[in-house]
Parts: sequence; C-alpha cells; structure tokens
Amino acid sequence: MRRALIFACAAAACVPAVAVRLHAQSRWEVSIGASGAREIVRSRPASTRERRSGLVFTGEAVATRGRLIARLRYGQGHVTADTGTPLLPRRDVVEGEALVGYKARPWLTLWVGPHARTFAVSGVSDRRWLFWSGRATARGSLFPGRVESFVELWQGFSGRLSRPAGSATGRGAEAGLELRLARRPLWARLAYRIDQGRVAGEPRETVEALTLTVGYVPLR
Amino acid sequence: MKRALLLLAGLWLGVSAAPSAGAAQSGAALLTQGVRAYDDLEFDQAAGLLRRALAVQSGEALAPPDVKRALIYLAATELLREHRDSAVATSRRLVLLDPRFRPDELIFPPQVLTLYEAVRRATPVVTGRAPPDTTIHAGSEELAMRLYASAFHDITAKLVGEDGRAVRTLYTGPIADSLVLRWNGLDSTGTRAPPPGRYAIAVSSFDRQGRLARIFRVPLELVQVFGRIDTLPHPAPPADSLLWSERQPMGPALRALAPGALAGVAIALLPSVVASGEDASGARFVVGGTVTIAGIAAALSRHPGRAIPANVAHNDTLRAAWRRDVDDVARRNAARAREAMLGIRAGAPVVLTPEGP
Repeated sequence: MRRALIFACAAAACVPAVAVRLHAQSRWEVSIGASGAREIVRSRPASTRERRSGLVFTGEAVATRGRLIARLRYGQGHVTADTGTPLLPRRDVVEGEALVGYKARPWLTLWVGPHARTFAVSGVSDRRWLFWSGRATARGSLFPGRVESFVELWQGFSGRLSRPAGSATGRGAEAGLELRLARRPLWARLAYRIDQGRVAGEPRETVEALTLTVGYVPLR
Repeated sequence: MKRALLLLAGLWLGVSAAPSAGAAQSGAALLTQGVRAYDDLEFDQAAGLLRRALAVQSGEALAPPDVKRALIYLAATELLREHRDSAVATSRRLVLLDPRFRPDELIFPPQVLTLYEAVRRATPVVTGRAPPDTTIHAGSEELAMRLYASAFHDITAKLVGEDGRAVRTLYTGPIADSLVLRWNGLDSTGTRAPPPGRYAIAVSSFDRQGRLARIFRVPLELVQVFGRIDTLPHPAPPADSLLWSERQPMGPALRALAPGALAGVAIALLPSVVASGEDASGARFVVGGTVTIAGIAAALSRHPGRAIPANVAHNDTLRAAWRRDVDDVARRNAARAREAMLGIRAGAPVVLTPEGP
C-alpha cells in the first residue's frame, strides 16, 4: 500500500517535467487532474450482502498526440461499512488504470489496457481485481469548446481475482459532463461511474462512484 | 313606217324618263310636300309624306340635315294629331341621331318644344367624332375626341379590345354639354401601348337610376407606324437559394440538446445495463439531471427562431436590388412606349341601346 502511494506521488511529480519536454515537440497535448469520489462498494460474498462507502482520491494524466491518446489514473482511499450493515472491517481501496486509445472519430475514442482495484484489510491478504478491457468513449458538444457530455463503456475480455483466486469477468461505464474554462487551461468533470466484477460460481462486487475532477492543461 | 318608228322611239324615251322623275319626288320633294301639308294643318297627309320621305333608302334618300328636319316635323305632326307615343318615339330617334339638335322656336309651337325637351332629358346619350386617321407618340401625345351629351348624366369611357376586355379606362364621371376625351396611347399599366389590332372607344351612358342606357361606340384600328411597342419582361424575384435564413434554425439547437439529453438518459440507465439486479444509488440522477439541464441550456443558447439581423439585411439588399431592376425595366418600357409611333384609324360611330328605346 505504501509502495503504491510512493509510486503515485512520483508519477504525479514527473508529469510536469514530462510536459515541459513534450512542449518542445509541440504536437502533444497533456492534461492532468485530481478527483474526489464518493464510492459505494456492494459485495456479495456467499449469500450475504455487504455495503461500504467512502472517499477515494485519484490523480490522472492524459497525453494526446494526433489520434493517439494515453491515460493513467491512480487513486486510493477507504470504504467503511454503512449504518445498518453488520459490523465489517474497514477496507483500504487502491485502484488504477493504464490505457492507450485511438480517436476513431472526433467524437469517438477506443481504448485498451489494464485496470485494477485492490481492497486491503489489515490482517488479511489483499483482494485484487485485475482486468484487461476494451473501452469506447463517445463525446457530444453542448457548448463547442466549453462543455461536453461523455459516455464511456468498457468490457473486460480478461480478468483475474486474487482471493479467492480465479478468472473474472467485468464491465462498467462512466458518464458525465466536462467543462473547460475559456482562455484558461483549467477543466472540471462531474461523472457517475459504475462497474461490476464477477467470478464464475462466486459472489460479485459492484462499485458505484460520484466523482468530481478538476484539471489543468499545462501543454496544448 | 318611218313615222311609226319615230312614235315608238318617242314612247320608249318617255317611259325611260318617267322613273327618275318619280324617285326625285320621293326624296327631298316628299319632305317639301310634307312640310307644306304641315303648314296647311293637313296633319294626316303631312305624316304620310314625312314617313315616306324618311323611308327612302336609295340614292335619293334624305341628307342628314333633312333627316333631322323630317323627324322634328314628324314629331310635331304626331303630337298635333294627338299621337303622343308616336311623337315621343320620333323625338327619341332624333335625340339619338343628334343629341345637340334643338327645334326652331319660331317654327314649332311650345307644346312641341316642351315634349322634345322632356324626351331629350330622359334620353341620356352621347355622340362624338374622332379624327379619322391620326398618328401619335404613345405616352407623350394624345388622341382627343370631343363628346356631346343630350343631357347631364354619368358616363364611363373605356378603350376595349375586340373581345370586350377593357384595355384602359379613359373617363368616369358626369358629362354636361360636352367633354374632351383624351387617350395617350398607353394601356392600363401606363407603361406600354397595346399591341396593334382592332379596338373601340366605348362610352356608356347611365340614367338617373345608374342603369346602363346606351353605349356610344367608335371603332379604332391601331397600327404600329415605327418604333417598338413590345416591352422588356420584368426580372424574376430573387430565388430562394440566394436568400439567407432570416431566423435561427432549429438544427443547431437540436444538435446541442441531443448530447445532453441522450447522455442524461444513458446515465439513468447505466446500472441496469452494467449491474442489473443491484440497487443503484441516486447519484446517477444527480449527474444525469445535470447533463440534461446543460443540454437544454445549450439548446436555448442557440436562440432557435430568433431573427438574424445580418441575414435580414442581406436579403433586404437583394430585394432592394431586384426592385431597382423592376423599376428600371418599367422606365425603359415607358421610354420605348414613348418612342413608338401609334397610328389610329377611327371608324363610323354607332349607338347601341342594350334594353331598347
């Protein structure tokens, strides 16, 4: 957990330096952002139902060159049992993704890459979901250059769950509104996200999130 | 034998000369005898002689002044014979023949003068004469025709085609004693001369009740002497393809609304697609509602249906240019019409009585 946090901080520190170098090549566009999300985790181990919620903070970086695009996200936080749910241990949440994409149309981007989410409980080994997925993001302009809506769907074509160990399937979606300030390299995003992982013959885990992201475009 | 031949020749000459002497008697001579009989108060004889005089149709017929003289004597004779209806009909015939005719007050008694005056006032009709052959510059010169009225009444004078269609109204209003009717050679548009052909000036007389009483009609034949009577066509108005939309179209507004509305609906449906069976939170409605409202705001910001001043000004410019072209063509047509020489030949006038005397 600590190792991952150090990695995230190092990555965030590297982004401005990378941005400066890319600026010299001029055709790159780089965007960084930080978000806070209220996540609701619903787990169904065996026949029971568990519901936890909490805050997860995420950093992201997106680099674009021509039609090619890359996105990195890393976040962590924790979720605790909601009122009315039998007392459950607090879970730390660490999640991240590394995607490469292609802008097939100005409004459509296709992605591929891994993403993972780990739930850590002290005294118990981590429970980690890892998926290789394909995604599609569609965008529509409301106020050209200022406000866009977007919908992103993903489907995992390969996945694993670490505990209990086994192959997993998953899919998810994210949709919302993205706002860019005029004449300022700042942006914000309000989004709703939901995904679900399943293991054959085993319980499933569903994560919902309401996220608010603010970002900066150091290179355009 | 020679004596017999001379006798036959003499008889033949006598027979040949007899008809011409009889025909001369049935013309002016009959009128003279009729007037003499009237003066002798032999009214029955006078009436017969005068009717015979008016009935002569051959080359020995009465000259127009003698016709009028015969008619007034006949009217007086019939009145004095106490045939009032016949006197009225004869007087009306005289009014139609010459609305300006007045009986001699020294010859005829007051009751004849009174009767004729009453008939004249009750018989609205005009007469007149157009120059038999004249040439004018259409638009700048005029054909003048003086009309004479039997009495004060309302008339309408029109130039009509062969089919009776009015080409131009020349005068509408009252006429007292006389009136000069003028036509400048142009049709009702005032910009061009009518094409060559047969026309007529028709003057309709109306009685006191406004009913059509008589039509005085002068046939005209229009010929083009030189110049161009045909006209340039008016330019077509600007085509729709050249005009810009004067109102903000709905398309951009709908294109702005669609991403917001579709994304809003999609967000609300995401849990059922991705994680069916789970009780999703209400967070999706917060985000979906926000996106939908943003889409509506984006659509309204396009101001669908609002006027576009720049496009309105552009279209006004096009329309103004078209109107200038139309005015220019009208001016050029008028100039052509002015340059054209129009030959006008007038025929013999006739008086038509639509409903009988």
